[in-house]
Amino acid sequence: MKEQGFTVWFTGLPSSGKTTVAKLLEKELRARGLKVERLDGDIVRRSLSKDLGFTKEDRDKNIERVTFVAKLLTRNGVAVLTSFISPYREKRDQAREEIGRFVEVYAKCPVEVCMRRDPKGLFEKALAGEIENFTGISDPYEEPLNPEVVIETDRERPQESAAKVIAKLEELGYIPKVAPEGGVYPDRVYSREEEKAIDERLRALGYI
Amino acid sequence: MKILVIGLDCVPPELVFDKWRGELPNLASLMGMGVYGPLESTIPPITVPAWASMVTGKDPGRLGFYGFRNRRDYSYNGFSIVTSRSLKEKAIWDYLSEAGKDVVVIGVPPSYPPKRVRGCMISCFLTPSAESPYAYPPSLKEEIQRLVGEYIFDIKDFRTDDKDNLLKQIYEMTEQRFKVVKHLLKTKPWDFFMFVEMGPDRVHHGFWKYFDPEHIKYQPGNSYENVGLEYYRFLDGKIGELLGMLDDQTAVLVVSDHGAKRMDGGICINEWLMKEGYLKLKEKPKGIARFEELHVDWENTVAWAAGGYYGRLFLNVRGREASGVIDPENYERVRDELIEKLEALGDENGKAIGTRVYRPQELYSEIRGIPPDLIILFGDLYWRSVGSVGWNTVWVRENDTGPDDADHALKGIFIMYDPRHSGGGKKVEGLHVVDVAPTVLNLMGLPVPKDMQGKAITTGEAEP
Repeated sequence: MKEQGFTVWFTGLPSSGKTTVAKLLEKELRARGLKVERLDGDIVRRSLSKDLGFTKEDRDKNIERVTFVAKLLTRNGVAVLTSFISPYREKRDQAREEIGRFVEVYAKCPVEVCMRRDPKGLFEKALAGEIENFTGISDPYEEPLNPEVVIETDRERPQESAAKVIAKLEELGYIPKVAPEGGVYPDRVYSREEEKAIDERLRALGYI
Repeated sequence: MKILVIGLDCVPPELVFDKWRGELPNLASLMGMGVYGPLESTIPPITVPAWASMVTGKDPGRLGFYGFRNRRDYSYNGFSIVTSRSLKEKAIWDYLSEAGKDVVVIGVPPSYPPKRVRGCMISCFLTPSAESPYAYPPSLKEEIQRLVGEYIFDIKDFRTDDKDNLLKQIYEMTEQRFKVVKHLLKTKPWDFFMFVEMGPDRVHHGFWKYFDPEHIKYQPGNSYENVGLEYYRFLDGKIGELLGMLDDQTAVLVVSDHGAKRMDGGICINEWLMKEGYLKLKEKPKGIARFEELHVDWENTVAWAAGGYYGRLFLNVRGREASGVIDPENYERVRDELIEKLEALGDENGKAIGTRVYRPQELYSEIRGIPPDLIILFGDLYWRSVGSVGWNTVWVRENDTGPDDADHALKGIFIMYDPRHSGGGKKVEGLHVVDVAPTVLNLMGLPVPKDMQGKAITTGEAEP
């Protein structure tokens, strides 16, 4: 059977931590031997969608294009990690429908915290009126109603958030539960069979 | 100065220092010429953290070793088995190798895969099989194979009722280990030589009820009544053979990682958590099921736990576990509540059993990795922790994984003979496993690193 991919769709306010967690996840999934492609707002906006602005229409177009690319990759066995503000519920739901194996991750973070972070100085510019249609300031963000995972980036370390997504992917059966040899945990030295055998031995010895 | 460290897994002071001392001439003579005393283990007193603490001089928190398996993340099933690579702190042999000393290290957990040392290393009983690359340098494996054939890391099929076969295997393993030890003692250059033999631990877990009249299943006059003593005599004889090979410039240490005591029963910790409403299942298992096989209703679960010679309890915390329910603000309150209830839990008749529950933060100087939220020593370790579910009771008198007779005890043994100073056979108290690494470096005339937590034990100290 052909290996199937999946798309982890991060959504949330600017500076809510989507990319930070996606990068950790990318590292972990690669370590587990998966093919991974990360589609990031900042990069796509400079390439695939450089002709687009930030009106609702353009934002929708951008998400449609990303959805299309994610769909192609997903059906070809790639683990796709998208990090876009993707503020509109309707577009996210369309993406879910088209892509199929879709895990929505809501990077939940109070706007004040995002503003304090503001690594690119965008909130500052938006508040000064230099950027129009800025999500969280002058454009709405529609919270997901039923995301597969909520990461609360103001209260969790990025590693904890990434671990929650990993746990969900494991639970959904999208990734194997045990990281194969050479995983992100460099301590892993046993193959899955060996680990299982040692586990059984320790159990028989009463240690666990 | 040369040093031989004889590691005997699970050997308790009561048997060697008291009950069978007169039957063990070689150990008794080391005690008589040196110093000796009970060696307090780590909490938990369990093989991997205890040996690792012993050879690094650092507590389990510093090592991030809270058991054989540790949480690698906050997922519900993310446990990793400890390996030599998870040991990030330097061990005695690393310091000695750096100081230009030749070392031989055999079977000290955790040592799979074997690490590069100035000398030789054979990995421990957590080695998958004799097919695995178990030796450093790799060519040593062939040498061992030529000497003994298939190297025995541990007993096969420990949970057996075929006690004769179990005993035969234990003797074969110990015999073979000593053969390898003698070969390397003779053929390799060494300043420091350490090995760990698992045989005593396997004898205790497999046969304690036959020789301890206080065990609830003890039957006077049973055919395995002398198995314990005979094995100890055999072991003592083997140690005598090694002592006969040493020159008069060699110090000898005999150490164990923890002790042993009879097992009175098991507390089914997850059954108890269910009964108290902390753990909810989506469906009850048919028969007895391992925790990993259960359909846990995580959204309504506050705590779950793992079995073993001690208990590990985990809390389901919001923002930490995927479906966490405990508000981080209530974390300490929930822990306190569980400590109080668990420590008050008696046996099936309500009789107090003396359970102690620890917060990792109160045990260790530092916490690395992800510790359990609580560490439980049930009934002063006369009771084990049973993780499986389906017993419909909290108290069992059988182990969930098959017959077992002994639990671990908090104190192991320490014997040190230094040819330069007589210890006068003095018994010393207050020794701890983290003292062993500083003791070895001190004997070798090397400085003890400041970050080692133990203190060097000397024979001089024992003199009046």
